[in-house]
Amino acid sequence: MRKYFTVFAASWQDEFTYRLNFILWRFRNVLRFLMTYFLWQGLFSATSTIYGYSRPDMVAYIFLVLIVQAAITSAPSADNIGGEIGSGDLSNYLLKPMSYLRFWFTRDLASKSLNLLFSFIEITLLWLLLRPALSFHYSFFSVFGFVASGLFAMVIYFLVSASARFTSFWYPENTWGLSFLILIFIEIFSGSIFPLDVLPPAGQIILQATPFPYLIYYPISILDGKITGLYLWRILFQSASWTLLLLIFTRFLWRKGLRVFGAEGN
Amino acid sequence: MDIISVKDLKKHYQIAQKEAGLAGSFKSLLHRQYSVVKAVDGVSFAISEGELVGFIGPNGAGKTTTLKVLSGLLYPTSGAVSVLGFTPWKRQPAFQKQFSLVLGQKNQLWWDLPAQESFILNKEIYEVPDAQYKSTLDTLVQLLEVADLLKIQVRKLSLGQRMKMELIAALIHSPKILFLDEPTIGLDVVMQKKMRDFIKDYNRQYHSTIILTSHYMDDVKELCDRVIIINQGRLLFDGQLDEIIKKFANHKILTVIFSKDINPDALKSVGQVREFTYPRALISVPRAETSAAASRLLRDFPVADLNIEEPAIEDVIREVFTGKDLA
Repeated sequence: MRKYFTVFAASWQDEFTYRLNFILWRFRNVLRFLMTYFLWQGLFSATSTIYGYSRPDMVAYIFLVLIVQAAITSAPSADNIGGEIGSGDLSNYLLKPMSYLRFWFTRDLASKSLNLLFSFIEITLLWLLLRPALSFHYSFFSVFGFVASGLFAMVIYFLVSASARFTSFWYPENTWGLSFLILIFIEIFSGSIFPLDVLPPAGQIILQATPFPYLIYYPISILDGKITGLYLWRILFQSASWTLLLLIFTRFLWRKGLRVFGAEGN
Repeated sequence: MDIISVKDLKKHYQIAQKEAGLAGSFKSLLHRQYSVVKAVDGVSFAISEGELVGFIGPNGAGKTTTLKVLSGLLYPTSGAVSVLGFTPWKRQPAFQKQFSLVLGQKNQLWWDLPAQESFILNKEIYEVPDAQYKSTLDTLVQLLEVADLLKIQVRKLSLGQRMKMELIAALIHSPKILFLDEPTIGLDVVMQKKMRDFIKDYNRQYHSTIILTSHYMDDVKELCDRVIIINQGRLLFDGQLDEIIKKFANHKILTVIFSKDINPDALKSVGQVREFTYPRALISVPRAETSAAASRLLRDFPVADLNIEEPAIEDVIREVFTGKDLA
């Protein structure tokens, strides 16, 4: 365990050396927030509810997206795993008594914790600046459910992006295309631009068969008190199932991939 | 006792082929053609504890592939490999804690942090006790003279300085076996020499087993008593360095200094003239005829000085690789 703490500490140091990069990345998130914020403001200027969402409901939703995104989609692993396989730098890790997946998950956690910290500061500033009306309906159970589903979401995101990058074992030159596609899917179908219950029922049913809604939409809906009781437990159970399924799949790809890994680059 | 044993190791790769140009790219998009490369093709050897063995061969001979199989990065196509009693590609932590592979063109240090941070990370990864870490680091830092570089970002170090740091990172867990792939590549002559001295000292002090690959014959000549030569995935030679000459060079070199100008064509009767710039000539003669050729030279030509030498080992090895006979 200690080795991963050291990885965590080194990752923070590493992030600090890329201050500008980090600040720009946060700035991008704030811009995205403002974009969706003003988009919804425009839509709400004509009507008071859209798909059952009042203006304060929707504002609360997109504020929460900013926080949840910091915790879930901030993942340096996604930018590095494919490249390390293609260039053969993966060798450095394979030589050592350490798990590659755990190494990158730890680095992601380090990045997430920093991003989360900053997202709280940003939210406070944005709230002071915009002073919007917010509506929250949280309870003890909804906070518990939110934390639990959020933790699953972190792991699901990591496994989806890692397994996509593992295709580099077979197609070192094609990995970026696939990853980009998945990134777009995540962006749209995880609920980071709009809550997914605005979609027609057929679309919602299709989405439920993918891991995407578990990343952002369900955690926020749980916190907001929309998902309660038995439904909450069902969503948590499904999150856990996706996590397990993806874990098995990712490990399967990893083992197969190592068989064809050529340790190139020297 | 054998610490490393390799029996009939084969590693064949399937690689995609693409014809030249854009049209070739389209073609390979639709229909990929594969060919099999026999990177290692039936190599066997055994190495005992404390040996320092040189692995030589031209580019693509299979040296690095062999090292990668020995360190568990690659699965072999066939053959039996045992290192410290382990099967390398199972990558058991107990095995990984006992060896290190240094790839001359690979970086394991964190680029944006001082090297020290990578050392600490390796200490934790390899679970090195505090006291042992401190004493190993002190020794290595002293041997490599890098005390003042520990706190500098790796990206700011020169290539030579970085190589030293890479070595420290690789040695922090005091490995019993060290695989060094081109440890002196890209270094200037002074640094090359220092690196060689270090490797020699390390082998002596810690009684560690070292396999080293290098393009520089100087590395091998200075460090290794035993040499394994591979070419095109096959083992050509395994033995003492000086036996290479006896085995492969069936000729000797006569170096002559003439006191008066001579007709170079006349020298052809002595042997194969490899070089002639008055007053000096290099003549290659079959080993068995050396003394006859020397006496003919002394009798028929105005000789000021004459030397009979073994051919340079570099030449012998080069000719072995190109399949040419030296005589």
